[in-house]
Amino acid sequence: MSDGLVVSSSPHIHSPEDIGWIMRQVIYALVPGAAIGVYFFGLPAFNVIWISVVSCIGVEALLQWLMGRAITVKDGSAALTGLLLAMNLPPTSPWWLVVIGALVAIGLGKQVYGGLGNNPFNPALTARVFLLISFPVQMTSWIVPRPFLLRSADAVTGATPLGAIKTAVFMHGNLAAAGKISLMDLFMGNVGGSLGEISAIALILGGTYLIYKKIISWHIPVIYIGTVFVMTGIFWLINPGVYANPVLHIFSGGLMLGAFFMATDLVTSPVTVFGKVIFAIGCGVITVVIRLWGGYPEGVSFSILIMNAFVPLINRGTRPVVFGAGR
Amino acid sequence: MSFSKEFTKGIWELNPIFVLVLGMCPTLAVTTSVKNGLGMGLAATFVLLCSNIVVSLIRSFVPDRVRIPTYIVVIATFVTMVDLIMSAYFRPLHHALGLFIPLIVVNCIILGRAEAFASKNSIWDSIADALGIGLGFTLALVVLGSIREVLGSGSILGYPIVWKGFKPILVMILPPGAFLTLGLLSAIFTKINNTRA
Amino acid sequence: MKEVLKLVVVLTLVGVLAGLILSYVNDATEAARAYQDRLELLNALSVVLPEHTNEADKDVVKTAKGTKYYISKRDGKVNGCAFVTSSDKGYGGKIRLLVGVDIKGKIHGVVVLEQHETPGLGAKIAEEGFLSQFRGRDIRNTHWKVKKDGGDIDQITGATISPRAVVEAIKNGLERLGQDRDVIYGGSNVVQ
Repeated sequence: MSDGLVVSSSPHIHSPEDIGWIMRQVIYALVPGAAIGVYFFGLPAFNVIWISVVSCIGVEALLQWLMGRAITVKDGSAALTGLLLAMNLPPTSPWWLVVIGALVAIGLGKQVYGGLGNNPFNPALTARVFLLISFPVQMTSWIVPRPFLLRSADAVTGATPLGAIKTAVFMHGNLAAAGKISLMDLFMGNVGGSLGEISAIALILGGTYLIYKKIISWHIPVIYIGTVFVMTGIFWLINPGVYANPVLHIFSGGLMLGAFFMATDLVTSPVTVFGKVIFAIGCGVITVVIRLWGGYPEGVSFSILIMNAFVPLINRGTRPVVFGAGR
Repeated sequence: MSFSKEFTKGIWELNPIFVLVLGMCPTLAVTTSVKNGLGMGLAATFVLLCSNIVVSLIRSFVPDRVRIPTYIVVIATFVTMVDLIMSAYFRPLHHALGLFIPLIVVNCIILGRAEAFASKNSIWDSIADALGIGLGFTLALVVLGSIREVLGSGSILGYPIVWKGFKPILVMILPPGAFLTLGLLSAIFTKINNTRA
Repeated sequence: MKEVLKLVVVLTLVGVLAGLILSYVNDATEAARAYQDRLELLNALSVVLPEHTNEADKDVVKTAKGTKYYISKRDGKVNGCAFVTSSDKGYGGKIRLLVGVDIKGKIHGVVVLEQHETPGLGAKIAEEGFLSQFRGRDIRNTHWKVKKDGGDIDQITGATISPRAVVEAIKNGLERLGQDRDVIYGGSNVVQ
């Protein structure tokens, strides 16, 4: 690998110590984002996190035991999937929703393919989309964030920034009705949304740590976010009354969480640098298309899953030429 | 082979859905409920039975080179009959199965059995084969339909069977649910077959 | 040559036989199918129209533009009508409705004749719980939009597109009704 990334090639999968270490690092990197979620959404958010992590570990152990495979929950990959799943759910998710999510993530997203390293799709996102389609009401009920100390008993329901934009454009044909959305709030996380996606700064911090530790390379997050920025920027320049500005787009929704932590999933992203570039651009374009013209306000989960399906093809197409062999 | 052996093979060893993996289009599309699965299964079984009988009857004087067009005409005739009769006497079922009735014409199971079995075997055996394969198909559709209806609508044959507060898993009655259920059932089927073998 | 002849003869024979059988089945079931069609229409009409004593499916007024109105009469006096209206903006394509109104133009009932919406979600537009809210509404007393878009019509949780299409279809139908009023009730003795 030209960029010297230790983890880009696949043999690490056969070394349990390395998996455990990587998974721990990713979990550390997710802690700031999760902590901000708990800060703004309180105890319910904390419950979603622990129920998700515990049920993912439980389901993984149970399935491996049932199928007579080695039980590998200690490698932390199930815990990481659990944490990622929790961060992709609304903070008010009822417990059964989280448990069904864990069953889908580990069962249908991972173990049916043969466990860690064999799954074509990101397990946490598979579960999120499954839940979104199955329980549209629960999966799109958002609450207004309120810092821990200022919390009153009742949660107030509200919309996500992207949801507000979509409704405004659909009803009135312009952005004005969405109200003023503060970029500072978006950056810090003082907005409605999934538990772990609200704070751009916390996620960038965690992502930078992973790049620094050389667990992920910068290509996918930077190019993914860059593509979204450029594309939404072009449409914003064409008609700022209907298309939100690109800064708002990159700091809202699940883009930061998706770009740093899920599009970079070692198992389900391309191996070569060129492959990663294609993958990231594809994710960016699909995300923007769904956000601007799709039925859903947010398209990060769908775009990553769709591009996941292309990964084997991308890997095939971008395989480096063996040294000495002719083209 | 005896009648009973020809009959039972279609239900298990040669189950059209789980083993032969034929006729996927109606399988995935209509199994949103038990009723639809059963209706589709019985309609296809009827067509299969009729076409197997006729194909077996005419097998000796249909020239090889035109056998496929002949089978298709035979099958299409029976499908159109089913379509007309269902529309006349079973209107609600006709509405539910809609487009998929005419599509029985291109259901690979029926042409497959005509080509692979009825054109080479006696009427008696062809009847057994048609009943067995048809029953296997129907059973598979009913199993798929039950699982998807229970999980996706919280009911069976239209009667609610779940506790209060149960939230149906909508995806199960949408196309992805069909693929998920079919995949998991095929896996279980294969597992059982491998263990028995 | 003899081989080719055999192919032609066999195929022709099979084709002719199939055609004969099918034409026979078609004739044999024709009455029953027509009966079922009429039964469906009558069922739908009995739901959407005000109480009537005539055979509404045979009491039809057709406007110059081709819209069909089923006239409802009670003891010989016109007390409403029903019409088919549709929208292509459903989540799964076309949605066709039969809407019945009383003599003042207020909706008496709505049934869905055709829809391809998502089962368990958008398909709820065909359920009584959703359709009953249209009763008593007319083109003036209602803001014909779903609540999410600032109107008066309850949407279905998790599905906005299907109700929107229904609202659009009904609104268009009622507007057409307004224009066609004179044609529909023209020659009849109208009860106010």
